[in-house]
Amino acid sequence: MDIELICLLVMLAVFLLANLLLKLPVSVSMILGAIAGALTGGQGIPLRHMFEGTFTYLDTVLIISAAMLFMTVIQESGALEALNAAIVTRFYKVPALMLILLMLMIMFPGMITGSSTAAVLSAGALVAPVLMMIGIPKANTGAIVAMGAIMGMAAPPINIPALLIAGGVDMPYISFEGPLFFITIPCAIVAVLILGLKHCKNLDIEKLKGQLNLEIGKKYGFRLYLPILVLIVLLVVSKLVPSLPQLGTALIFLISSAVGLFTGKRFNVWQKALESMETTIPVLGKLMGVGMFIQVLTLVGARGWIVVSCLSLGTVMLYVFACTIMPGFGAISSYGAASVMGVPFLLVLLQTGGNNDIVLCCMLSFLCCLGDLMPPTALAGNYAAQIVGLKYSPVLKKCVIPFLICLIAGLVCMIFSGSLSFLTA
Amino acid sequence: MKKIPRHILTACLLCVFVAAMVVYLGITFRSAKEKEPIYPGPGVTGQEMLSKYCPNLEGSAGDTEIYILDSGVPGASMLVLGGTHPNEPSGYIAAISLIETAKPTSGILYVIPRANASAFTCNDPQEGSPMRFTIQTAGGDRWFRFGSRATNPIDQWPDSEVYVHASSGQTLSGSEIRNLNRAYPGRQDGTLTERVAYGITQFIKEHNVTITVDLHEASPEYTTVNAIVAHENAMNLATLSLWELEEQMKITVEASPKNLHGLTHRELGDYTNTMALLMETANASQGRLHGTVTPEMVVTGEDKFYYRAGQYGALTVEYPATGIGISERCARHITALNEFCRSYDGTAGSIDLGNIPSYKEIIANGIGAYLASPAK
Repeated sequence: MDIELICLLVMLAVFLLANLLLKLPVSVSMILGAIAGALTGGQGIPLRHMFEGTFTYLDTVLIISAAMLFMTVIQESGALEALNAAIVTRFYKVPALMLILLMLMIMFPGMITGSSTAAVLSAGALVAPVLMMIGIPKANTGAIVAMGAIMGMAAPPINIPALLIAGGVDMPYISFEGPLFFITIPCAIVAVLILGLKHCKNLDIEKLKGQLNLEIGKKYGFRLYLPILVLIVLLVVSKLVPSLPQLGTALIFLISSAVGLFTGKRFNVWQKALESMETTIPVLGKLMGVGMFIQVLTLVGARGWIVVSCLSLGTVMLYVFACTIMPGFGAISSYGAASVMGVPFLLVLLQTGGNNDIVLCCMLSFLCCLGDLMPPTALAGNYAAQIVGLKYSPVLKKCVIPFLICLIAGLVCMIFSGSLSFLTA
Repeated sequence: MKKIPRHILTACLLCVFVAAMVVYLGITFRSAKEKEPIYPGPGVTGQEMLSKYCPNLEGSAGDTEIYILDSGVPGASMLVLGGTHPNEPSGYIAAISLIETAKPTSGILYVIPRANASAFTCNDPQEGSPMRFTIQTAGGDRWFRFGSRATNPIDQWPDSEVYVHASSGQTLSGSEIRNLNRAYPGRQDGTLTERVAYGITQFIKEHNVTITVDLHEASPEYTTVNAIVAHENAMNLATLSLWELEEQMKITVEASPKNLHGLTHRELGDYTNTMALLMETANASQGRLHGTVTPEMVVTGEDKFYYRAGQYGALTVEYPATGIGISERCARHITALNEFCRSYDGTAGSIDLGNIPSYKEIIANGIGAYLASPAK
């Protein structure tokens, strides 16, 4: 047995032992797993490597923290309640259409930023109360938000896993829109209808009105929506006019949050900011732990062992592994999956002939995005669960069927990538 | 889930631990700023800093040395770029070898061994790379840094989500904004990486450099490896050289894609009069399939996983169990550079790098034989 495989098994065993038996936080368990792997691999306790590994997530941590502040601001200022009331009173007569429009709303920030977390914490936070109000159970609501955020992350114009895979093989990020829309929009529609339609077929608007805060919108008027408007405008402008100084997603969330302090109900900013950070620190800790874990995984050679083992399979198994290992790698990092697995998988699949490189790259990136549902990190599932006030396991259970549908759709598109070449025209 | 008990003592202990880590790791990371010594050889007649060609670089982490090896005999000129990607060591080791041993007999050789100087000061997160490696020379071991593919984020941060190449509008992954070989022709007032690219472009323009060669490496699973990539204005030169090179090594010539922007072989050919070429050799330490990357593995290239992947047909080059060592990779670069000079027959006159070791000599004696001994 290769020493690299032994290291991998030790890392996983220590992680699971610490997390499940000793009930330590995921972040601490991952650090312990990383240390155990490094010791097994003869690397001692590689402090430099462990610290270096966390840097991959520095930008993500900033975006998550800023997005959490934004979410708190729109909740406390009353913008969220007003928006809920506006959506329900306008669209209650056509629930299927309403669900699809809400799903597109959830997707939008993900499409612009390429981040499922940003989508969950901005539009997801706005839409979740509406979904629950119209009768969709909390777990289903969390699942809709999580799936929508992931579809948004995978949809064009910005799909970061696709950019990473394309960059790894020197493929220009051109003509990706067709295949990405082709896979994400139908999957998003199917997911939201499966999870939500049966719960909101017969809506009683009079009953709903009792739950809606119809007054707050009248009291503050349009200015209540200014932070959301500022967010959308800044995100869109920064992408449409790249020649302008780039503010970055984190700063855009902070600017929008600052606007929200003056547009609605007043609240204790310091107290609420502390509360929002307290809820998000465990997830940030997970990211740091994952960073250390993956760096040690590479350091001891276990990453190489995993990738080479996958590549040693025949073509059929390669497709099977692309559909399992790549989303599975999302348990560590979906971006990591794209960079570590996506590039060699694409290179090997292209050797099989008859495939379209752009379609393949899009579908591989789509599978990587699904990894944001994989525990323990499960970024999209984690935050969606937090928004609806549940732990993430019931939310993830509800995601299983739409997840499998997406997986199969991605696999079929990969197999027939050559026939889908017209999408790249 | 257990909650860590909130106690003032716990907090104090954690703060002390974090402070100790910051000091220890700060010292460790700062050590990457120490430059490996370069010993200019008998052919070096001058030295400049890149900031002369882009004043905005002065005093920054992007400023870097340009070595001038002027034969004194009028002729063509060649610029060699090493260290565009400091995780591709044969590029800058070959460049350093030229500085320390070459003595041109006609024309001028310019060498920038650390093209992206900032990228030498860090490693790529999650790659588990060593910070240094050593090469044995006649007078003892020489140490060199193993750096990152991209500019140190300490010097250029944050990355945008998407990198939009300034002159073409091409979009790439956000992290590519710190990749020097996606930044050409560069901008005088752009990011640090763009300023370095601008400085190099201006240098080529001001000196009317005849041939520019950017020395790279690629992971053995990559499609363009053991190859010369040529701009259309350098395609004849690359093809002529190929005739001679093929007798010594397996090598191919590829055309620079017209729709892939920011790279030396595309933009330097488009924006200057130079004949732009790029070389790629097979480097296991930068790939995704490797096992542990030790300082020894960087030099020997020996890696059981790359060997296995080769057996499975997952690589684009033959990968022996003994690895593809840095001597062989440097030999490819140096031999090709010499051949480009020999094959050039343009109007700028001739360029002769002098007594350059042959491909076989470098492999037989090791690249360390063509590096200066470390100063005592």
